[in-house]
Amino acid sequence: MNASGEVVLRIIGPPFSGSVQQTGAIPKSAVLLEIASDGSVFAYSGKVEYGQGIRNSFTRMIASTLEIEVADVHVILADTARVPYDRGTTGSASTRTVGAQLFRAANAAKNELAERKDSDGSGADTDVVEIEISGDEPSPEEFTRLTPHMGAVRIDGADRVTGKAVFAYDFALDGTAYGSLIRPPSIGAKLVRIDSARAAQVPGFIQLVQANGIIGVVGETKEAADRAVSFVRTRWDETGDDVSDWSLPSALKDLGSDPVSLRDDGDVSAGLSSGARLISGVYYAPYVANAQMEPSAATAEWGEDGSLTVWCANRGPFTERAYLAEHLGIDAEKIRVIIEEVGGSFGTKSQSVSFEAAVLARESGRAVKISYNRHEEFSTSTVRPAALMEIDAAVDQSGKLVAWDYTAFHAGDNAFRGRRGADSPYDAPATRIRVADSPSPLPHGSYRSLGGAVNHFGREVHIETMARELGIDPLKFRLDNLSHPRYRRVLEEVALMSDWESRESSDGVGYGLAVGFDAGSYVAQVARVVVANGTIVVERVDVSFDCGQVFNPDGAINQIEGSVVMGMGTALWEEVEFDGGRVLNTGFGGYRVPRITDVPEIQVKLIEDPSNTPTGVGEPGIVPIAAAIANAVADATGKPVDRLPLQPQISAFSS
Amino acid sequence: MEISINNLTHNFEVNPERLLLDVLRQEAGLTGAKYGCGEGNCGACTVLVDGEATRSCITPVGSMVGRNVTTVEGLTAGGELSSVQQAFVDESAFQCGYCTPGFVISTTALLLKNSSPSTGDIKSALNGHICRCGAYVRIVKAVQKAAGNPDHGTSL
Ligand code: FES
Ligand code: FES
Repeated sequence: MNASGEVVLRIIGPPFSGSVQQTGAIPKSAVLLEIASDGSVFAYSGKVEYGQGIRNSFTRMIASTLEIEVADVHVILADTARVPYDRGTTGSASTRTVGAQLFRAANAAKNELAERKDSDGSGADTDVVEIEISGDEPSPEEFTRLTPHMGAVRIDGADRVTGKAVFAYDFALDGTAYGSLIRPPSIGAKLVRIDSARAAQVPGFIQLVQANGIIGVVGETKEAADRAVSFVRTRWDETGDDVSDWSLPSALKDLGSDPVSLRDDGDVSAGLSSGARLISGVYYAPYVANAQMEPSAATAEWGEDGSLTVWCANRGPFTERAYLAEHLGIDAEKIRVIIEEVGGSFGTKSQSVSFEAAVLARESGRAVKISYNRHEEFSTSTVRPAALMEIDAAVDQSGKLVAWDYTAFHAGDNAFRGRRGADSPYDAPATRIRVADSPSPLPHGSYRSLGGAVNHFGREVHIETMARELGIDPLKFRLDNLSHPRYRRVLEEVALMSDWESRESSDGVGYGLAVGFDAGSYVAQVARVVVANGTIVVERVDVSFDCGQVFNPDGAINQIEGSVVMGMGTALWEEVEFDGGRVLNTGFGGYRVPRITDVPEIQVKLIEDPSNTPTGVGEPGIVPIAAAIANAVADATGKPVDRLPLQPQISAFSS
Repeated sequence: MEISINNLTHNFEVNPERLLLDVLRQEAGLTGAKYGCGEGNCGACTVLVDGEATRSCITPVGSMVGRNVTTVEGLTAGGELSSVQQAFVDESAFQCGYCTPGFVISTTALLLKNSSPSTGDIKSALNGHICRCGAYVRIVKAVQKAAGNPDHGTSL
């Protein structure tokens, strides 16, 4: 039992609805909702709140369904000791799987309470009643009933504007010691010698730890630990593999695996050599950083019985627990992971920080907190893999695509990431899609839409380049080759929003279009840019977005605006630079991200279509934006674009 | 050394070189001001010093003697959100909320000086802040909304 009062009603069932994620360690039946004798309601989910607003939508939905105050609803998220198993908060699916299931649970509770009232009116029944609900895929009608229960204004907003919200970086236990790490100066460097004699003289020094591949100092305060680290003398053997971005992008292909075919329709070779017009392009997107505002932090405490509790900020408490169990060599059942408020996560927040805190805590016998500084965050965090994309496409006299041959080389040995968004929606009868992976010189990880935004950059820039070469309007060229009705609808809608037909490009002013698909949703964007005095300014972005039924329009628009802003950074400035195995731009001075004066006017139109089940809103908005901006810059300058980021290329050209 | 924080006098026995942000978070237990970069580039650590928006991550605590420091916790007089805080909530001007205290403080400082800022004034006052979640469109709306309401939560 989790609720503190006496539980009178408990709803159990699968933690997700639909077939999605009904695999592996996910229980067939778990406690989803409890009602206590004092009327308070507890709901449980392994999902993480990292800014997308699920705590808000779940709380409001339950309160509204049961017709009680939001203050009486307690949504317990992401604590392995209290919530059902979850694989992690990814794929923009929380609302349609967990939200729908909690809605079903709340309705079951409501019906039971109504029946009880009818039957004896006293309500003094003290036995716990358990009701089991199904995990069937919700019908469109169920989603329709769910929608009005979701509210817009965030119930957790007050805690965020007053400083009450406790992020992992803020979390503290009484008597915690602090860890500070000694890191290799370059990727792969091996420690040859270490001398901590002077460090041990620093007031507050507790211990130098060398264990499980981690080297760090534990101190009474963060300041003491940091200061002690500055007195530790080390000598390193640097591998001499001169890992640097100078070898990119060509190394991606030269060292890449054999491409894996994801689709091979028709005869691509015949189509490409059919005498139709062949247009080829090669595109490159560099490594980019998540650079979320809260750097990695975790606190770890061991119990006398060998149990471990970790407070951290990650997208999946159970995956974190499995990682810790494997790396520490202990039973997962002995580990409790509690996710605090998460100060941004667009892919992975470091798992290693929890592990580092656990090792330092185990060795020192103290609870230990580790909080990275910004330079550590930039130099050790996983980054979105760089990719090289090769496209050959052939068009006939009437402007119809006959063949589309796409090969992408994504850095990193995670084929799943590079495949996202690689497929083409265009009608070419001969279509081949191949994706290869390539050794990654930097630690690589997830990023909003995984490889989706990268693949869309290559494809949508190539489509627009073709249209320009053929002298066909880019909107018409797309519509002539795209029969999928939902793609067509977002394109037609964004053309209206942006007044596409009457746009006036000129020297220095350009418009770019791009269309995409991610996490089940369709999105089209038009960017208007001005290029003057060697500077690109994005003035306006129109977005039409089809995510089927919409639960919370304002929350969706917030996510889409954020995706546009984030993707705009990758289009214009962002690139992780590295040389000799060292990341070079490890601060916000060297790694430029969008600021408030950079932000364009953003118009978002949601195509709310109740005949389609709800799909993702957190990621799809980022997939077309870099291409839309690149296409607009090409339109403004008359020069084709084939790589990101754009601003350094314009600066180099104009200086 | 004696420093006034949120109208309370604190007595710290710390090295005056220590950074105000560390002292606020670790000695005073006020974690509303956030660490984002530690070098004055992101605004997450912003506090008011005698009504001026100040980056606490690059400010030695020793320079605060005799000054009034206000953190985001201190804007909430008697449990009521200030107009700036309320406007950020009403406009959903955040996603994760990690950057929010910094933006709220700088907005408060702006409105103390300029009660009807133009959009350009708002953007230039907040350009030292990073919101990686990209809530900027809403942040501008929240500031405009708060500007319509004179109670900025501090009498400084
Ligand atoms: S933490 Fe002070 S400006 Fe970034
Ligand atoms: S709301 Fe997440 S950084 Fe601004």
